[in-house]
Amino acid sequence: MFHPLVIFSYFVIVLFVTMFTSHPVFLLCSLAGGVAFCGVLSARRQFLSDIGFYIVVFILLSLANPLFSHNGETILFFINDNPVTKEALIYGEFIAVMIIAVIFWCKCLNEVMSTDKTLYLFGRVVPKLSLLLTMALRFIPLFKRQAEKINKSQKTMGFYAADNLPDKVGGAMRIFDSLIGWSIENSLETADSMKARGYGLPERTTFSIFTFRLDDAFMLGLMAIYLLIFIAGKSAGFLSFHFYPTLGRVGITELSAAFYAFMALFMFFPTLIEIKEQIKWKYLESKI
Amino acid sequence: MEILRIENLSFSYPLRDTAALSDVSFQVKEGEFILLCGESGCGKTTLLKLIKRELAPQGEKSGAIYYRGVRQDDLDERTSACKIGFVMQNPENQIVTEKVWHELAFGLENMGLQTEKIRRRVGEMASFFGIQNWFRKKTDELSGGQKQILNLAAVMAMQPEILILDEPTSQLDPIAASDFIATISKLNQDMGLTILMTEHRLEEVFPLADRVLVMKKGKVLLFDEPRLVGNKLKNADNGISQGLPSAIRIYQGLNDNMPCPLTVKEGRELLADNYDNRVRRLHRGKKAPADAETAIELRGVWFRYLKESPDIIEDTSLTVKKGELVCLLGGNGSGKTTLLNIIAGANRPYKGRVKIFGKNIRKYKGRELYVNGLTLLPQNPQTVFIKETVRDDYLELSKVLGGDLNALQRRIDQIAELLSISDLLDVHPYDLSGGEQQKAAIGKILLSEPRIILLDEPTKGIDAGYKEQLCSLLKDLQKRGITIMLVSHDIEFCARVADRCGMFFDHTIISFGEPEEFFCNNNFYTTVANRISRAMFDNAITTEDVIELCRENGRRSE
Amino acid sequence: MSYAGRMAEEVNKKRILFILGLLVAVVFLFWVGIVLYKDRAYNIISIMIMVLACIPFYAAYEKKEGDIRRLVIIAALTAIAVVGRFVFGPIPFFKPVTAVVIITAIYLGSEAGFLVGSLSAVISNIFFGQGPWTPFQMAAWGVIGLIAGFPPVKRLLKTKPGLVVYGVFSGILFSAIMDIWTVLSYEGVFNWARYLAAQATALSATITYAVSNVVFLLIGIKPIGKKLERIQIKHKIFIKE
Repeated sequence: MFHPLVIFSYFVIVLFVTMFTSHPVFLLCSLAGGVAFCGVLSARRQFLSDIGFYIVVFILLSLANPLFSHNGETILFFINDNPVTKEALIYGEFIAVMIIAVIFWCKCLNEVMSTDKTLYLFGRVVPKLSLLLTMALRFIPLFKRQAEKINKSQKTMGFYAADNLPDKVGGAMRIFDSLIGWSIENSLETADSMKARGYGLPERTTFSIFTFRLDDAFMLGLMAIYLLIFIAGKSAGFLSFHFYPTLGRVGITELSAAFYAFMALFMFFPTLIEIKEQIKWKYLESKI
Repeated sequence: MEILRIENLSFSYPLRDTAALSDVSFQVKEGEFILLCGESGCGKTTLLKLIKRELAPQGEKSGAIYYRGVRQDDLDERTSACKIGFVMQNPENQIVTEKVWHELAFGLENMGLQTEKIRRRVGEMASFFGIQNWFRKKTDELSGGQKQILNLAAVMAMQPEILILDEPTSQLDPIAASDFIATISKLNQDMGLTILMTEHRLEEVFPLADRVLVMKKGKVLLFDEPRLVGNKLKNADNGISQGLPSAIRIYQGLNDNMPCPLTVKEGRELLADNYDNRVRRLHRGKKAPADAETAIELRGVWFRYLKESPDIIEDTSLTVKKGELVCLLGGNGSGKTTLLNIIAGANRPYKGRVKIFGKNIRKYKGRELYVNGLTLLPQNPQTVFIKETVRDDYLELSKVLGGDLNALQRRIDQIAELLSISDLLDVHPYDLSGGEQQKAAIGKILLSEPRIILLDEPTKGIDAGYKEQLCSLLKDLQKRGITIMLVSHDIEFCARVADRCGMFFDHTIISFGEPEEFFCNNNFYTTVANRISRAMFDNAITTEDVIELCRENGRRSE
Repeated sequence: MSYAGRMAEEVNKKRILFILGLLVAVVFLFWVGIVLYKDRAYNIISIMIMVLACIPFYAAYEKKEGDIRRLVIIAALTAIAVVGRFVFGPIPFFKPVTAVVIITAIYLGSEAGFLVGSLSAVISNIFFGQGPWTPFQMAAWGVIGLIAGFPPVKRLLKTKPGLVVYGVFSGILFSAIMDIWTVLSYEGVFNWARYLAAQATALSATITYAVSNVVFLLIGIKPIGKKLERIQIKHKIFIKE
């Protein structure tokens, strides 16, 4: 819906600010935003299984820190004479929140930034590399299908007999071997086809089907404003928080509350847009 | 006005004794549709590639090529790249990018056009070639026919003035091929585009061409209008005539003084105007009823790839007797290949029974089924090869067959002789032509001394001469008691080789019978010779049948 | 001065500016990390350094007047490395990416090795899940390819023992780079004790990884190498590097 530049900038900003901050309120906002956006984007079943998986990851990650780090003053108990502290535990939890938030945002990025959008963005900066990428992406499904065909034809020639590991490795190796021969020989024809269509002429340009609209400019402006507010909030100390030696406190004033609210709004922005779109379509469909 | 002139062009590849082209000269006028034909290896492709400078092969070259009066060497890069369009044989290999729109724009990007201009041209191309509906798709999701149309459109976007096509439909199914040829004809008729193409499928292209260039062993044999070429080739050797349209072959076989027909319609007129039809039926020796043992038996087979995907095969039953040659015809994606894979044990049905030589296929353990049992020639013979020479590849089968290496060596020599590929044994598989690759692959599958051979689309991409060889090879194997089953959409080929033909449609076999009964009961899905003669004769299927019946009846007395 | 000469000078100037810019960026990042964030934002900074480390190679590739067939073959090998993960899917721990990267480097040189390594990381993660680990994988596989392509290493790799040593080395190198990320994701800051501990816990995985590399290289180098050699001879490509 938005121009790839807008989408990409948004994700870059979100990932940056998330990883640059260790303030609990802020990290929770980011996590919630990422999970929510992932929720509206992906299928329900997949989403629920993801949530389950990352709860386990969260527990593992947050338990790992107190086992290694013994900073902090509030000792909960001892393991092998090493103190386990409340501060280390909580710190571990927030590191886990940060990591999982980042992973969820990356999942969304994968979903929203299709390969052609990515290639478009980088096509301007590194045209040759992006051509290399698009060719590799074009080859992958082709090679996968060929691998499947080779597998079948090797099977019907009787090359697989046993079902043990060396045989499996040998079989896969045969497919791989044949695939490499096939792909390299055939890719030379692709090179010919590129040459025949004038690849290598000077002054190559990069085309795309994306257009930059007024909405996109507006969004970029919004993001710039957000960054300014983020920096302002940071220098005002709204994002400082210390875990050691004792946990700091989240100071809530009118101003800081407004700041956190704004940060949360920014993190939920894509979710809100997505939901709005869905409702709009439901409404339009009901009118038809 | 002349657009292309070739003067005394000779060419030879490095390390080869014989010249690929010798002393080729001809001219092409603007807006002409030129068809290039000749046996495989006659230098057609070399000639086409030499005309497109970017693709010119390495080797010794003499003579000159002029584009609009300018020597090829003096052409500037941009003109050479953009004004001479080239479409190759394999639809897959020509595609460079991941998305359809990007593929269309690829050449324009190379030309350095600005976004606005590219957008307009790409839009124009997409509308002209009917690509709008799949404009944003991934190139990989397209069918073979769509891919080739995309390749054509991507070349046309660069606005070439002459279009060169090297067997563009050889990898396509008949319907996609017709569409493609119709598009080419439209470009020629409506846009006045100059076209130079080679093609296996002459049946449709021959009547469309303005002039036909016939090549033989690197030389120009004939360059004339199709009708005259048909007439002049009357006494030429078999190699070239085999691929000609059925109407011309009937005409040549009758060898009477009449105007040469090109199309089915003209063929019908020729027969109706000149021949009697008192004898309407050809008497064929009835084949002995097959009471041999059953080689392949399918009972109520159902198959799908995934639990949630639709059925590919529904309730299909089939019995093939030992020593039979059975053909299954059917459109693209009808499930023919899947069925073959089920019989070969590579796909497993979720319902129904498959028996090979009376034994349930699941009861065969390990490689038991594939040694001296059953074998499958896949559609793409390249999937069979792994090693650096054909011989190494053959020897590798000792892993499967076990036993004595010397015995295998001897067997390799025997088979190479049978297929007349002895001189190809030490060549790299990828250096062989399409037809040779096919033969080498057949050689490999014959090594395991199979009793059943399954072939998937064996005539795809091979020319008339090789088809002829394949035909006699299959009959030869059949005589040795081998059961053969092939799936194909090549009606003409099946009509010639099959003992029985079946039609695969809508996930199952809908009709099955001897070719005579099968084709004569079909109105559309039948051979060209049958279509030409059906008003006159009752059971003529091949051109030979038609010629024989005409001879028997004699010319109509005025 | 000739046009080409002026162009070359222009390119040179640009290149120097570019390298300077890159250095400034790295220094700035360290400054941000150490001064502004008092050593806290390790993870983001390490990710950015991984990305920055790849940039000079990409930029150098952009500038080159490359052969089309070389370009296509690099793309094909990248795709092969990724598809290999599917082909060998049923076999645990057996991932041919490293081996393909090494073989590419042997036959096509350092630059191609780096490109195939880092790009197959990006692309395979499109299918297997993109995340903050992507830049680490890019750097790890890229560096494995880069080193394998250096002429002395290349000579070593023509021998069997050399192949075994490099297979093991690349297994360890890969783990070493990826464990930086593991440590950062556990603690948010880097510390050596944790790093070594992570290495120790991942030891069995590292060993399987190294062994699978070696096995793959030993079985794969001959057939794959032959195929590349054939193209090299038949079409006279990859000679210049």
